[in-house]
Amino acid sequence: MTRRRVLVQLGCVLVTLFMGLPLYLIALASFTSRDALNAFPLPLLPTAVSGDTMNTFLRTTGIVGGMLNSLTVGLSTVALATLLGVPGGYALARFAFRGRDAYQVVMLLTRALPIVVLSVPLAKIFIDAGLYDTTYAVTLLHTALALPSTILITAAVFAGVSVEQEEAAMVFGAHRWAAFLRIVAPQALPGIAAAAVFTFVTSWNEVLGASILTLNRRTLPAHVLATLADSPLAFRFVGGLVLVLPAIVFIALVRRYLLNMWGTTLR
Amino acid sequence: MDRRSVLALGAGVAAAPLLTACAGASTTGGGGEGTVTLLSNQFSPVEERQRFEAILKARVTAVPVAFNQVETGIFASTLQSQVDSGKPQISLAGAQHGDLAPHASRLIDLDDVLGRLGDRGFAPELVELAKLGGATTKYIPWMQASYVLAVNKRALEWLPSGADVQKLTYDQLLDWATAGRQGNGGKPIFGLPAGAKGLYHRFLQGYLVPSFSGGQITTYRSADAVAGWQYLKELWAQTAPASTGWDNMQEPLQRGEVLVGFDHSARLVGAPAAKPDDWLMVPAPAGPKGLGYMAVVVGLGIPNGAPEADRAKDVIESLTTPEVQLDVLRQNAFFPVTSAPVPADLPPAVALAEAAISAQRDAPNAILSLPPVGLGARDGEVAQVFKDTFKEILIDGRDVKAVVDAQGARLDGIVAEAKVPCWAPDPARAECRVA
Repeated sequence: MTRRRVLVQLGCVLVTLFMGLPLYLIALASFTSRDALNAFPLPLLPTAVSGDTMNTFLRTTGIVGGMLNSLTVGLSTVALATLLGVPGGYALARFAFRGRDAYQVVMLLTRALPIVVLSVPLAKIFIDAGLYDTTYAVTLLHTALALPSTILITAAVFAGVSVEQEEAAMVFGAHRWAAFLRIVAPQALPGIAAAAVFTFVTSWNEVLGASILTLNRRTLPAHVLATLADSPLAFRFVGGLVLVLPAIVFIALVRRYLLNMWGTTLR
Repeated sequence: MDRRSVLALGAGVAAAPLLTACAGASTTGGGGEGTVTLLSNQFSPVEERQRFEAILKARVTAVPVAFNQVETGIFASTLQSQVDSGKPQISLAGAQHGDLAPHASRLIDLDDVLGRLGDRGFAPELVELAKLGGATTKYIPWMQASYVLAVNKRALEWLPSGADVQKLTYDQLLDWATAGRQGNGGKPIFGLPAGAKGLYHRFLQGYLVPSFSGGQITTYRSADAVAGWQYLKELWAQTAPASTGWDNMQEPLQRGEVLVGFDHSARLVGAPAAKPDDWLMVPAPAGPKGLGYMAVVVGLGIPNGAPEADRAKDVIESLTTPEVQLDVLRQNAFFPVTSAPVPADLPPAVALAEAAISAQRDAPNAILSLPPVGLGARDGEVAQVFKDTFKEILIDGRDVKAVVDAQGARLDGIVAEAKVPCWAPDPARAECRVA
């Protein structure tokens, strides 16, 4: 093995540790008995394994419902944001129109206003529309929040797919749609997957908007985050683990599409 | 990437909206017909919430209640948006006096309910408080709490001679914290909940300032109050510096990081829970003007246009019965607002807190303080003045007199604009102003 490869491998190990170690520590603390958590220094190996805290937490009213709601909202947001955002990104990458640069900046404005400022009017609009306290409402809000990043990421990806190939397909008789689906989409898929991961995680982590728009049908973070902040340390670890796991599973599932991002090919 | 996987991804994406065929799963057990949704910012810790849900299930059998716990900011914006839209889904709002006060106009009058509950024996000062500065009852008292000191018995060896731990003065507390720190190898033994979500402003509003100056608002700029802050500066030098990261004291006490801590009773009972024999809970110290203490009142109100207002009134009736009041005391350490007699078989940690709170209330030199009354939305601003004074004097190390003068002027601006009469311990004059 060359020295260069050793260095690369070492870098990989370090990065993995950087991401993995906190997860390990959270998982370890989640399954440690509460008394043992007060010890100092804390052992780094599972010495006092106990499922009590996890058990108590999972039996809290609404954890399962909240997780279902979060998954529903997360996946619907991914679907809706992809459906609306990918054509938007394609248009930004392929068509020159007046004010395109300004348009790209203006798009980010949805993220410029903090939700806390919008909260009461936003809730009133959804109440008046009859959408309050539904996963639809949260999906719509999260889609609005995720769209700018979906559009900008996919625009960058589409810009990396050569126009010539698309034109060649059309020269050989493919319709614009067919050219997009058969030539552009497969090449852009990794970027779209990256945007989807980003969207899902944005939705999964969003608390304030979800808390404002729901009452009895909360997403998991909206349901437990405030509770966890005031709970003993043991519950914070357990809650942290429960909150982080589904997002990791989702990323693991989408990982195979994530071969490139920002239009740079790694294959 | 072959075509099949593209199709598979497409199918997955298309399937997602099908998942939303229902509007979502219930996370509170509520949402059904006839359910009373109780929105509250109380009982936020996981286990407290579970215990209260169990109490609801066992004791409030006539009406299904969905307990919906949210943080204070969400509580306020939800109540506001729901009532102002004219189509509220909440039938009951349970929160501290100060969190309900800004919403007085959004709550219906509950004089009829109070009349029906004549046998509960609510304390007269609580009934008065529940009017939120108006003429009619806006909420029914639900439970109360106070702040005391928790003491690990290991700390008693450094207690200054002649001091009675049950009847401390602020000077003795300072001597104790100083001696304890020396005896403990330089490690402070005293802590305050001065974290971002800690309730240290209540210590300032209800304990320190009234004990030194006899008032909370009117005397803010007095020489006595300045002496109090000067004192706190000395105490702070002997206080665990990690205090600024603590939101509640029971955990650092349990871990043994400090041995003496001041906090809300519900945020202290966890410390002695495991080994009650190792612990004491004692009244707060007394200052030159007396033993200032604060009573926390939590009430239940019904929003305008509540879908289940009549059932909500039944729930209020159930929650104020002696059985429920004592269940809440036993399990969550919030004290009855009614004349329900305190039983002898309380859990040891709760009994410790109960004894300390009673002793504090019944002390001959006690000075009752209330959280700001009738300030509406400006309630939090008053707390912020106290917090800012704390920060500027203790953390930034600025001149005490100058800070108190400047912040006192700010406080005066807030109360002058509100045009409200003073609340305890300040004399109820026509209009409350900082002298």
